[in-house]
Amino acid sequence: MSLASTASAKDQPSMLARLFARQELALLVCLVLVLAFFSATVENFFSVRNMTNVLGQASLALTAGVGCAIVFISGEVDISIGSLLATIALPLIIIMNDTNSLLLGVGGALLFGLIIGVVNGYLVAYAGINSLIVTLGTMFIMRGGVYLYTGQRAIPDAASLDSFIALSDGRLFNIIPYSAVIAIVLLAAFGYMMQHRPFGRQIYAVGGNQEVARLAGYDVRRVKFICFIISALLATVAGIILAARVGSAQHTAGLNFEFQVVAATVLGGVSLAGGIGSLTGMALGVLILQFLSNGLRGLGLPTEWQLVITGMIIIAAVAFDEAKRRRANGG
Amino acid sequence: MSVDFLHPGEDAAIDTIVPALEMRGIGKRFPGVVALDNVDLTLEPGKIHALMGENGAGKSTLIKIMAGVYGKDAGTIRMRGREVDVKSPRDSLKEGIKVVFQEIALISEFTVAENIFLEGYPTGRTGSIDWKKIRADSAALFNRIGFNVDPTARTGSLPVSQQQMVEIARALAHEARVVVMDEPTSSLTPNEVSLLFAVIRRLAALGIAVVYVSHKLDEVFEIADTVTVLRDGRHISTKLIGEHTNDTLIQDMIGRRIDNLFPRQRGAAGSKVALSVEKLSTAKKLIDVSFEARAGEVLGFFGLMGAGRTELAKAIVGYDPITSGTITVDGRRLSPHDTSTGVRLGIGLLTEDRKSEGLMGELPVYQNASLASLGAFARLGFVDKAKEHQAVQDYVDRFRIKTPSLFQQIKNLSGGNQQKVLISRWLMRGLKVIVVDEPTRGIDVGAKSEIFALIDRLAGEGLAVVMMTSEMPELLGLADRIAVMCEGRLTAVMPRNEATQEKILNAAIG
Repeated sequence: MSLASTASAKDQPSMLARLFARQELALLVCLVLVLAFFSATVENFFSVRNMTNVLGQASLALTAGVGCAIVFISGEVDISIGSLLATIALPLIIIMNDTNSLLLGVGGALLFGLIIGVVNGYLVAYAGINSLIVTLGTMFIMRGGVYLYTGQRAIPDAASLDSFIALSDGRLFNIIPYSAVIAIVLLAAFGYMMQHRPFGRQIYAVGGNQEVARLAGYDVRRVKFICFIISALLATVAGIILAARVGSAQHTAGLNFEFQVVAATVLGGVSLAGGIGSLTGMALGVLILQFLSNGLRGLGLPTEWQLVITGMIIIAAVAFDEAKRRRANGG
Repeated sequence: MSVDFLHPGEDAAIDTIVPALEMRGIGKRFPGVVALDNVDLTLEPGKIHALMGENGAGKSTLIKIMAGVYGKDAGTIRMRGREVDVKSPRDSLKEGIKVVFQEIALISEFTVAENIFLEGYPTGRTGSIDWKKIRADSAALFNRIGFNVDPTARTGSLPVSQQQMVEIARALAHEARVVVMDEPTSSLTPNEVSLLFAVIRRLAALGIAVVYVSHKLDEVFEIADTVTVLRDGRHISTKLIGEHTNDTLIQDMIGRRIDNLFPRQRGAAGSKVALSVEKLSTAKKLIDVSFEARAGEVLGFFGLMGAGRTELAKAIVGYDPITSGTITVDGRRLSPHDTSTGVRLGIGLLTEDRKSEGLMGELPVYQNASLASLGAFARLGFVDKAKEHQAVQDYVDRFRIKTPSLFQQIKNLSGGNQQKVLISRWLMRGLKVIVVDEPTRGIDVGAKSEIFALIDRLAGEGLAVVMMTSEMPELLGLADRIAVMCEGRLTAVMPRNEATQEKILNAAIG
C-alpha cells in the first residue's frame, strides 16, 4: 500500500476554482462591476479627479478599518472608533493652537488615542468584559465628553499650519491625496504584519480558536490587548485627517463613522467570529461602499436611498458568504 | 528551531536502557472523586504501549497530566531519567511529550504547515515568517512519517485522519520523545486505521515511545507491544501483549463485583409499548436502529465511546435530524421530527451535558423546574405564580431536593440535586417516555444511589425509561433489558438475567 500522496492533488479543486473561492477576488469583481456601471451611467465618474477624490474620502474608513479588521480577526469588536475620531481632535487642535506645532499636536492626539486603546484593551482582555459592551461604553463616554467640553460650538484651528492643511487638500505629485497615501502605507504595513509576521498570525490563531492558541502557549490576553491599542491608534490617525479636513474640533465629527467602518469590514469578508478575513478584503469593502455612494450621488439619488441600498448590500453579502461557508463545510 | 529533528538522536543506544518516560505514584483527586490513585506507567523508547480501561478508569486523567492540562496531586514524572515538572501544555511539549487528543487541537482556518509550526514560526533575518522553510520542513516531516499531506491545504478542509497526521508531524517538529494517541480511531474508516497504524509503527521505529489509548481490543492486539490496564483510577496490570488473551484483558478491565447500589422497588414491567423506534438512521452516526421500550421498564443502552448512544438519545426525542426511520410514542408517530412535537407526545431528554443543554444556571430553581410546563400554570396567558411555585414545591418535597429555597439560583445546587430538578421538569410535563443520557455523570458517588432510586421510581410509576450509559454497574443494576451499540448500530438486545459483562462487552466491541 502506498502511503504517499493520499492527500492534496486529486481532491484539490482546480486553481481557478480556488481563486474564485477567495473572498478578495469576488470582492474585486464586485468593485469592477460597480466602477463599470457608474462609468457608463454617470458623467465624469471615471475621471482621475473623481477617482482620486473618492480615494481621499475613503482614506478615513481605510485607516480606521485596518484597526477595526484586526480587532475583528482577534475575535472581538471595537465600536468606539467614531467617538474617538471626534475626541482626539480636542488635544490636537488645542495643542496646535497653543504651540503652533503640528508635531506636538499629533503627539498629544496619539497619546490620547493610546490611553483609550489601553483602557479598552485592559477592560476586554484582562478584566474579561465583553468587548461590545466596553467599546459601547467608551463610545458614549467620549461622545459625551466632547459635548461637555465644546458645547454646541466648534473649536476652530486657529494655527492654520500649512503642514496641517496639506493633510486635507495636499496631493502627492499633485494627484493622490496625502490622506490616501497615509491610508495605503498603513494598509500595506499592517497587511504585511497580519500575513507574514509571527504576531499577525498569532492574532489569527487567537481569533480562530482561543483554546488551541492557549494550548500552543500564546498569551491570548496580551494579543487582544495589543489589538485594541492598534485599533485606537489607527482611529486617532483617521481623526487627525478628519480634523484637518473640517478645520476644527466639533462634537458631531465622526458620528456613525464606526458603523460605516464595521459595515465595510463585514462586507470585506472579515468575520465577527474571529480568525477569518483579511485587510485586503476590508479595503475592497470600503472602496465598494465609497464608490457606490459616490456613483449614486452622481445619479442624483438622495442620501436616504444610499443608506437603504448600503444596508441591503451588507445583508446580502454576508448571507451569500454564510451560504458559501455552509456548503464548504458540507452542511 | 533546528533542522536536527530530521535525524534521529545520537544517544539512541542509551535510550534503549533508560525509559523515555516514567510516571511513579501518580495521584489526582477531583472534588468528591479520586481520579487516579498511585498509578505507575513506564514507557520504553521505540515501543507501543496501550493504555486500556473502561470509561472513567482514569485513562484521560493520566494523559491530561502528561499533557500538562491537569496538574498532579502526587507522584513524579521522569523523562529519560530526569525528573521534570510539567505545569502547562507548553512545558509538556518542551519536555518532548505530545498528546494527540480526540478533539484535534488545530486552527482550522490555517494551512497545514502553519499549524505544524504554531508554537514557534521559523523566521528569517528580518523577523518575518519564512514560509518557504515552513513548507519545506513540513513536507520533510511528512516524508519522515511516510504520509503526505499537502502543507498548503487549509486544515479544516481535511478529514480527521489527515488532521491527526498534522498533529503527529507537529510532534516531530518538536522532537517529541513520547507521542500519546487518544482514542485515535474513533472516527476513522478501516482503511484510514491501517494507514494510521503504519504511521504509528513508523514513529516507534524512529525511537519514539507511543502511548495508544483505546478500549478496542482488536486494535490493541494488533498494534501494541505492552498493555497497561487501569480501573477505577488504579493501576491493575502491565503485561506484554503476548501474555494476554481477549478474556484476560476483559477480566482486567472489568474485574469488580457489582455492589448493591441499586435497591429495586418497582415491580415487573408491563407489556404496553410506550416507545417504538423502527429502522432509524441519521446522517452522522446511526444505522438502522430498531427497538421498543415498554411502560414501566428501564431499557439500558450500553456502548463504548463513539458508539452512538448520545446521538440515539437526541434523535429519538426529535432534537437531531434523522434521515430515515420512524419513532412512535404511545401509539402516535413523532412527526414532524422536532422537540416540540416530542414533548407534546410525551418524550423528553435528560441530557448528558447538564451545564450547556439542561440548566439555566443563573435562573432560580422554580423556573428551571417549570420550564416545560408553563402552559399548565397559565391563566389568560399569564403564568399563575402561586400555582407554579406550589407545583415545584411538591416536587422539591417529593424528591427531597436540597435547596435553601425555590428562588436559589440552580447553579449553586449540587450535581445530584440539579439532576433531580431536571427530572422534575419532565415529570411536571407528564411524560410517557424519558430518555436519560449518562444520568450520573459528574454526580458524587453518594448522590448516585439517590438518582438510581429516582429512576427506579420513574419506571415504577409507569414511565418507559430509556437510559444511555457507559457505566457497566449502572447498566446491570438498573436495566430490565440491555441493548448494546457499536459504531451506530444496535448489536445486541438481551434481558437483564441473561446478560453478563463479557457478553455485553463483546457486543460493544462488535
